[in-house]
Amino acid sequence: MTDDTPNRETDAEKARADGSGIVAPDDETPTWRERKTRTQGLSQLTYEYFERARREDQDLRQESDYVERDVLAFPTWPHEVIRNLAVASFFVGMLIFLSATLPPHIGDPANPSSTPAIILPDWYLYWSFGLLKLGPLNPELSILGGQKLMADRTYGVLANLVVVGFVAIVPFLNKGSARRPVEQPFWAAVGVGGVLFAFTISVYSAKNLIPMNLHLLFDLTFLVPIVGGFVTWAVLKTMREGYMYDLNRRYYRLRPPK
Amino acid sequence: MSLEKKDEYDHNGWMKTKDLSPVETAFLTTLIWLDKRLRIVDYLELMENLYYKVNLQMPKSHTEQYNLDNKFWYWYPLYTLGLFSTLAYVVAAISGALLGFYYSPSAAAGTEAAGTVAYESIGFIMRDLQFGFMLRSIHRWAAQVMVAAVFLHMLRVYFTGAYKEPRELNWLIGIVLISLTMVFGYTGYLLPWDQLAFWAGQIGVEMSLSIPLAGEWVAQLLFGGFSLSQATLQRMYILHVFLLPFVVTTLIAIHIGIVWVQGIAEPH
Repeated sequence: MTDDTPNRETDAEKARADGSGIVAPDDETPTWRERKTRTQGLSQLTYEYFERARREDQDLRQESDYVERDVLAFPTWPHEVIRNLAVASFFVGMLIFLSATLPPHIGDPANPSSTPAIILPDWYLYWSFGLLKLGPLNPELSILGGQKLMADRTYGVLANLVVVGFVAIVPFLNKGSARRPVEQPFWAAVGVGGVLFAFTISVYSAKNLIPMNLHLLFDLTFLVPIVGGFVTWAVLKTMREGYMYDLNRRYYRLRPPK
Repeated sequence: MSLEKKDEYDHNGWMKTKDLSPVETAFLTTLIWLDKRLRIVDYLELMENLYYKVNLQMPKSHTEQYNLDNKFWYWYPLYTLGLFSTLAYVVAAISGALLGFYYSPSAAAGTEAAGTVAYESIGFIMRDLQFGFMLRSIHRWAAQVMVAAVFLHMLRVYFTGAYKEPRELNWLIGIVLISLTMVFGYTGYLLPWDQLAFWAGQIGVEMSLSIPLAGEWVAQLLFGGFSLSQATLQRMYILHVFLLPFVVTTLIAIHIGIVWVQGIAEPH
């Protein structure tokens, strides 16, 4: 044990001398090699570790209190924690208030022999339910003698997959560093169109309850999102100039061009 | 320096040479006692490593660098929707576990004319159980609010471009999570076994049957047959209280973990 300790130290020395060792962030942080060598004396390691930890902690606190930090991140305590606690209690309070004032009721028991007039899932599945009713869009192939390639209900399930699949591949279609809607009017328009479509298709899912011409409703389901998307696109294009001007002004004020 | 060779492992002797407080003595004694049996120092090295990683100071965020705090934090309510959905999930989990004590997933005929045992157990919770009506109400509202918050959360992420590199993976996990949230809602919707539940279940069976090739297999796996029966209710119950909680909780942990590692995506 005691024999090979000097050897290892010289090894460490050698490694540091030729600069091939791991570079520690600063003098206080032990290198991997140093951490390894200290595993010999078990108790010593433990003691030194806690000693170091305490000192390191203290140094960090003294160097960076949240008033004068040279390197910043939003402090978890107290800022973030208190804000989150406030928001969380407000939120849970809202939940309990809703539950107390608007409790759910239960309908008639299940009866397989009587189909109710209104069959609807919960509200958040209306869009999916609406997509199941896209039969009119299912193409008929004249080559098959006006037959449909797939059943209407298969088409509806496929539409669900297409929608979810499209949302999933968005990050791989829209690249680049633009973040704000004004910086990317097209994608913001796609988003607004998507949201509107989610609403219109939800309305269409309950088409037998809507007092409106069915064909008109079906057309509006697709027209409203397109028009809404286009309006968004036009508005953002118009706003873009002014927005980018402000952004650039702030940017160049902070980093004047050389 | 004494000629006698030192015993490296005489920890008690070593402790006596130190000037330790009682707390430290107790701590070290415990540490040494545990370490002799479990070799925890090997793991302490991992902890030490973690300590240095955790205490790394983050570079200035974009918001701080360009002094956008007032512009950015104004939108904080939208940035907390993820927390909202997590909280709602926790509330739903707690109230759901309590409801589970009283609910029985049985489609057998109940004591009354038309109801099943499942339907009547909901009736019991709502009428006879102390605080039961409120409990069911809380569970249902937590579920509704969770779904709403998840949808809005997705919209916030979309419109602030927060899904972009390097966060594509988390966006995909989010898609899976939002889908599973809706499956959660759907399976829960079926449990009361009232008219709405039954016919929503009917639609589910028809949807799975319409999948090409695998349709019948899927219907049998998820709904236990081609028409609704005890098997359907049982499967929805197991999905709702056993399978989905594990999967969704794990995914939420990964989702939040990735956010923690990558930081909040601020609009630039």
